[in-house]
Amino acid sequence: MAALLRALRIGQALRGLRAAQRSQCDEVKRTFQTAAVLRRVADDPKQEQVPPYSSSFHQNYQSMHPESESSRPNTSYADQHGEQAEDYETEEQLQIRMLTAALEFVPKHGWSVEAIAEGAQMLGLSPAAAGMFSNGAGDLIQHFVAQCNSNLSENLAEQHKLVQLGQTEPKKTDEFLRDAVEARLRMLIPYIEIWPQAMSILLLPHNIPESLKHLSTLVDDIWYYAGDRSTDLNWYTRRAALTGIYNTTELVMVQDSSPDFEETWKFLENRVSDVMNMANTAKQVQSTGEAVVQGIIGAAITLKNLTGINQRR
Amino acid sequence: MASSAGFARTLCRLGYRFSVCRQCQRQVPNLSKISRFAVSARLYSEQRSTHFGFETVPEDEKTEKVYKVFQNVAQKYDVMNDAMSLGIHRLWKDTLLQLASPTPGSLLLDVAGGTGDISFRFLDYIRYRQDREARRDTLSRQSASWQEITEAYQRGQPGMQGGVQAVVCDINKEMLKVGRQRAADRGYGTGLSWVVGNAEELPFDNDKFDFYTIAFGIRNVTHINQALQEARRVLKPGGRFLCLEFSRVSNPLLSRVYDAYSFQLIPVLGEVIAGDWKSYQYLVESIRRFPDQEEFKAMIEDAGFFKVQFHNLTGGVVAIHSGFKL
Repeated sequence: MAALLRALRIGQALRGLRAAQRSQCDEVKRTFQTAAVLRRVADDPKQEQVPPYSSSFHQNYQSMHPESESSRPNTSYADQHGEQAEDYETEEQLQIRMLTAALEFVPKHGWSVEAIAEGAQMLGLSPAAAGMFSNGAGDLIQHFVAQCNSNLSENLAEQHKLVQLGQTEPKKTDEFLRDAVEARLRMLIPYIEIWPQAMSILLLPHNIPESLKHLSTLVDDIWYYAGDRSTDLNWYTRRAALTGIYNTTELVMVQDSSPDFEETWKFLENRVSDVMNMANTAKQVQSTGEAVVQGIIGAAITLKNLTGINQRR
Repeated sequence: MASSAGFARTLCRLGYRFSVCRQCQRQVPNLSKISRFAVSARLYSEQRSTHFGFETVPEDEKTEKVYKVFQNVAQKYDVMNDAMSLGIHRLWKDTLLQLASPTPGSLLLDVAGGTGDISFRFLDYIRYRQDREARRDTLSRQSASWQEITEAYQRGQPGMQGGVQAVVCDINKEMLKVGRQRAADRGYGTGLSWVVGNAEELPFDNDKFDFYTIAFGIRNVTHINQALQEARRVLKPGGRFLCLEFSRVSNPLLSRVYDAYSFQLIPVLGEVIAGDWKSYQYLVESIRRFPDQEEFKAMIEDAGFFKVQFHNLTGGVVAIHSGFKL
């Protein structure tokens, strides 16, 4: 009897699986037959390198179209049909292409849906395709920020590799932080005129969670490659400090008019050295505090001895 | 069990063929094999039937009957819209345009757009956007030369965008006539084009339009899938399909109120205001026969559109479905 029930349950599970597979198959077939613009992408290594930031980026669109994502990645299609899969790109990849194209038009139109529409036109699509982004300007800025962060990560990873291979000297922490933040902020230079608009859009309530996520991944990456492996309260204090440095330097950069933003880099240097000093100062304060406490206890005991309270009769 | 098996065996000997009824798992005689002659005769005379409100009619007849309905209601169409929806249909159509947010230079195809509501709003929106851009340009320009100012004035004129911006297509000439009259009254002369055509067979070339809208029209189409495929055909790559249509109300309380209102009040309003009970009876019945939000979304995806979403308005009374041709 129990064996029968088990068999039934297994049968149900298999049937469900087959139904899911069939629906996946239908969806994939549908995509394969009817995509007009989604490019045919041969399985080249470029596909696997879905950039690390895209996971959070995709979450925005997953709520809108969950089935398509699960049924369209290259690998599952290849597994189902067991042949060399020449797959089409997904909608998300097309959106990424559109946003990258739209960045070109940002200096002229600002961070807006018009820029995305121009980007779509450049890819040969109708400007109506800009309607795909329900969060318009916010999506464009998040994409740009994510792109910059991943570029920075790649650069830091390369440097790290060189250091590990012994081809370059490892940098000191403050120098490393300074260089990393400077490299990241330099990516803003082409858009520095309209960056205040972007910053204000990122502060809108519905954009805050995602922008905070990007910021935290940025700071985490920089500290990781700086060699931070702490597991105590230091982890939080270090990242908080770097977040503060980054944000304030960004604000300074936006209103800096000196040649090649020299003032900004000087400001950055000062802030980083402040943080370094503060770490030392904190240690000093702690040891001084301990010494003071010891001294007070010693004085109290001496006083007690003097007044004779301690003596046993 | 034994008796039915014996019965089945007898029928088998008499030459009946069997098919298995899926629902009750019983063997059911396959009647079409009884007489080949009767089968072929039936094949010739029987056509596919479809729904017309709560009636069932042959497919050829449905197009004609719908045509007659709208021929009768054309003159009082807008008045009835206001009366039935208490003016809320204007908000629905405004929301549709806000969702589309067209940029200047886009070309719209408004199917089943007889009296032109969507197209007028489309033109207004584009004009508003052009004005806003012109204002932004003048603000950003610190000191403009006379040349630039004259150019800005010239650009600001409506209709200078290059002729037609919206094409209104409808199967019904009466509705188009009413629409043309309204356009003339409101001064939308240039920028609109009026074409007679069937949504299942659009008289346009491939890859022509940026936006394809069909507002409260697709439930009257006999073959909805064909209309969707035609929509995909005439849209440019990247073009957007938008459908505004009555849909299923999910909230049970609201649904009861809505049903009572639809079936008790609307035909009465139709009789009082437009003198036509049956057309408005057809209207409310056809709403009930239309697939619900998820089903229609699946149909749109089947036609080859991507990023299909729907937004419910007024609790699901009306839904906007949107898809992209990618």
